[in-house]
Amino acid sequence: MSDKNVLRLPAEELFQRELDALISAETGTVPTGWRMSPKSVLAYITGGTKVKGVDITPKYMGSKRLVEIAIATLVTDRALLLTGEPGTAKSWLSEHLAAAVNGDSTKVVQGTAGTTEEQIRYSWNYAMLIAKGPCPEALVKSPVYRAMETGSVARVEEISRCASEVQDALISILSEKRLSVPELGLEVPAAKGFSVIATANTRDKGVNDMSAALKRRFNIVVLPTPSDMETEMEIVRTRVAQMSAGLDLNACQPGEDTVEKVVTIFRELRSGATLDGRQKLKAASGVLSTAEAISLLANSMALAGSFGDGSITPMDLAAALQGAVVKDEDKDAVTWKEYLENVMKKRGSAWLPLYRACRELNS
Amino acid sequence: MRTGPVLFGVRHLSPAAAVQLRRALDEVRPQLVLVEGPSDLNGQMKWLCHPETRFPAAILAYTRQPPVRTILYPFAIYSPEVQAILWAHAHGVECRFMDLPSSVFLALEAGKNPREGEEAEAARSTERIYQRLETLTGESHDVFWERNFEQLEAGAYQAAANTFGRELRASLAETPVRAAETVIREAYMKRVICQAVDGGIPAEKIFCVCGAFHVEGLEECEPMTGEEAAALPRADALATLMPYSYYRLSSRSGYGAGNRAPAYFELLWDALNGGGLQEVPLRYLTRLAAAHRRAGNLVSPAEVIEAARLADSLAAMRGSRYPALSDLRDASVATMGHGQFSELALAAADTETGKKIGFLPEGVSRTSVQEDFYRQLQELRLEKFRSAVLQRLDLDLREKLHVKSETAALTDLRRSFFLHRLRVLDVHFAVLLPSRQKGASWGEYWELRWTPEAEIEIVESALLGDTIEAAAAYALKERGEESASIAQAAAIFEDAFLCGMPAAAGHALSVLQGLSVDSATIAGVAETASRLSLVVRYSDLRRFDSAPVIPFIKQLYLRACLTLKEACVCDAEASQAVTKAMDQLNALQLNHDFLEEDRWLSLLAEISDRDDLNTRCSGFAMAILLERGRADEELLSREVARRLSPGIPADLGAGWFEGLAAKNRRALLLRLSLWRHLDRYLSGLDEAAFRRALVFLRRAFADFSPGEKNDIAENLGEIWGVCPQQAAEALMKETTQAEQELLDSLEDFNFDDI
Repeated sequence: MSDKNVLRLPAEELFQRELDALISAETGTVPTGWRMSPKSVLAYITGGTKVKGVDITPKYMGSKRLVEIAIATLVTDRALLLTGEPGTAKSWLSEHLAAAVNGDSTKVVQGTAGTTEEQIRYSWNYAMLIAKGPCPEALVKSPVYRAMETGSVARVEEISRCASEVQDALISILSEKRLSVPELGLEVPAAKGFSVIATANTRDKGVNDMSAALKRRFNIVVLPTPSDMETEMEIVRTRVAQMSAGLDLNACQPGEDTVEKVVTIFRELRSGATLDGRQKLKAASGVLSTAEAISLLANSMALAGSFGDGSITPMDLAAALQGAVVKDEDKDAVTWKEYLENVMKKRGSAWLPLYRACRELNS
Repeated sequence: MRTGPVLFGVRHLSPAAAVQLRRALDEVRPQLVLVEGPSDLNGQMKWLCHPETRFPAAILAYTRQPPVRTILYPFAIYSPEVQAILWAHAHGVECRFMDLPSSVFLALEAGKNPREGEEAEAARSTERIYQRLETLTGESHDVFWERNFEQLEAGAYQAAANTFGRELRASLAETPVRAAETVIREAYMKRVICQAVDGGIPAEKIFCVCGAFHVEGLEECEPMTGEEAAALPRADALATLMPYSYYRLSSRSGYGAGNRAPAYFELLWDALNGGGLQEVPLRYLTRLAAAHRRAGNLVSPAEVIEAARLADSLAAMRGSRYPALSDLRDASVATMGHGQFSELALAAADTETGKKIGFLPEGVSRTSVQEDFYRQLQELRLEKFRSAVLQRLDLDLREKLHVKSETAALTDLRRSFFLHRLRVLDVHFAVLLPSRQKGASWGEYWELRWTPEAEIEIVESALLGDTIEAAAAYALKERGEESASIAQAAAIFEDAFLCGMPAAAGHALSVLQGLSVDSATIAGVAETASRLSLVVRYSDLRRFDSAPVIPFIKQLYLRACLTLKEACVCDAEASQAVTKAMDQLNALQLNHDFLEEDRWLSLLAEISDRDDLNTRCSGFAMAILLERGRADEELLSREVARRLSPGIPADLGAGWFEGLAAKNRRALLLRLSLWRHLDRYLSGLDEAAFRRALVFLRRAFADFSPGEKNDIAENLGEIWGVCPQQAAEALMKETTQAEQELLDSLEDFNFDDI
């Protein structure tokens, strides 16, 4: 595949070398329908090892135990639900799990308020339906349908954004493990290895509650926000490097102190207190997730690369921070200004250029 | 053919070890069972085997002399030691402890103190290895042990435990003190074994149960000689058996001392004796689900089944044969708990820690404190309160005159002493409810409920003394010596008073005295003095000899009188505390004739008179004088005129008035001349000064009742020649917008320049 012109490659292509290395070095038992053993999947996700000369990079930096629970869930025929606040790497983890288990992370249903039941089950090619009547060729299979046929993992993203009745279409699929097409008199049984990974946001606007019946059919893993400063900085640094490599940003990587500043600001405004716990702050109305910190830095790199000398200046950072923090004009503008004056201004000379740039934008 | 004794290495509190041990005992059929445990406590064994005994139980050994040092040997039903003892009892085989006597342990413990740094270092060395294991496996040590040892088959367990012990031994970079202790213990144990062999029991018929760590040591070391054994230090120690609880077992971490999940380990033990380890997940999950349902949550059987399946695959990922506790718990969280542990926390505590509390047969090996407790319970006819149901007890501390004997007349008072002593000992048997009496204190209201935890707490107070009273006295004395502030010491004195313990009260008093000399503010002194005053006033009721307290109150009173003037030089904020102290001192002086009245009155007069003190304090002094009838009309009007004369800054004048108005308002309201002066003073102020004054006056009048405010308005009406009706009308009118704005503008008053 000519991957040079693709904006974002699926995980299984991006990390193909690592996956191949793990598959060839496999020693454990491989469950039906899987490409590698659960332990290798774990190694792929948590990384930090070297297999056959290939470095396995860490994909998820956080509790290893949570990843274990997620993988163990897929080993049984249960469906997996990853929940958590926005930007806690739910989709990211789901994509990599699917990539490692099946080598295919693209059977995805994107949940939106407009998602219909057909998108989860099947729909028709109407032209052909009118021309030929109901026949297998006129059937348009959903990603879930295809996953059931092939015995692989289907992903349902943002399941809580779908209307409740659409969510509930999954219930019978998950409990019966069959899908019926009455128009063709067809019963599609799920092949071994079929499973569903769904992701859902807990704290966001525009989400619907999931019914208890559906929740019961999932094993639920709650992904936490990064527990400490170091972990979060590590995540931001790694992901910014990976992202910018694909985007040709013509800018150099943000320095350690820049990452530290952004992560500090995010953590403080997220928790509503300074890192040392001495001072209480107003928390920002937005979520200020790690993912946002990553895109913020990429954004600043784009600014620096396109309009500056390629290194991130306080001005670039200030503009990006302004956009990230001030989501709700009334409340957040006050929060942000207070933060600038009460916290950032008093942080000493290292923070001074950033403080000046931010204040300039706000005056 | 084996020639030596059987050395069975175990881990304390390990169910698998207990099961394997019983099997091994059945096989070997020994003539003597030796168990690692203090060899002077063999007498306690028969109680462990008593049919009514329920585990967990613990042997507590403690030194007789203070400072009290203790060692605790907790036993659960799944302790290998317990099973060895029970087996021996059931088969009529002799069984003895073989470790160093507890008195030696306690003496060694005492010798270690000066080199505490080293000791801590040594304690860390095993912990360090455990920690390294934890980082390596990413699991807690209990789980590591469960996965790798508890789940092993019969023969493998023994070998694995011994290997672990040997490896642990090898990798311990031991510090000298710790190593020395190990050497001594092993030599002693070896000596006990050798003695048994010399006593005519064939070596291979001796079965030793010891920590896996010691197996290698016992194989290789030389027995201690008689001389060496005689040279061991010994402390004067006592020991008792006490009921224990799973909660306590779980709150003590560290090898041998406890384990995190006693109820779960008991479940393991039950499963091992039942259908085997494959039953564990089912037992755990059904128990957890039942507990979760009891807490009012919905758990479907399907979720339980899914949890079992998930736990199995988690175990497989970790390479263990059966799910360990962490697998089971994590699986339950993902299914029953919807990803949140907090949802399951209650049920998990019930299933893993459990609420089980041990029980010892009536009359077994009681400490003297327990005996004292039960004797008093009987004597004070409080036995019916020894039940799990919460009951009320109302006490009337007054002497009952219609009964015959003196003891009966004071039963309630003695009950009160008894319950207060228990309270001081932190025995959670009785809770004192706040008094509902006003102006009297002969009533006391208690709520009593008996819990086995209280029994444990009573046993623990054996460390402090042989009777409830002695223990309470010791506790009070200890707390008294530790107290750093005058308020703390006063509280301890009050406790001693409530407990009816004059000696302890005396001690607390001397501490109090010491503290009050160096570090006491006027507020602290006044507070302490009024607390002591209470004691003196109610001393008859509680049959307390208050004579020693009186000189101290005199001292405090004198000190307060000497420092009060100085304290009156303060800002508005601090003046609150000063006036409160003045009020307390005034009450103190009124209550006790032995405090010189003249000193107090002349001091007040001086404070009232002086211009260089905080005016609020001066005003308050005036108020007290007025209340006590020591200021006549003339003096008052002169003072008012002086304090509120034109040209006096508004904050000073109004502050003085605030102090004056803090007391006997009725009398003030009746004195028209006072209000006339105030009116004249306010009218003389210019706009800016008036605004300032208004702020202070608003504060001064803030806690006047609406009725009092009305009276003030009427007074002013009279002065201004407005008839009462008109005044009332003007008052009832709603405030206009303009007026409201004016009032609001006062809220923004800038206090910076005051």
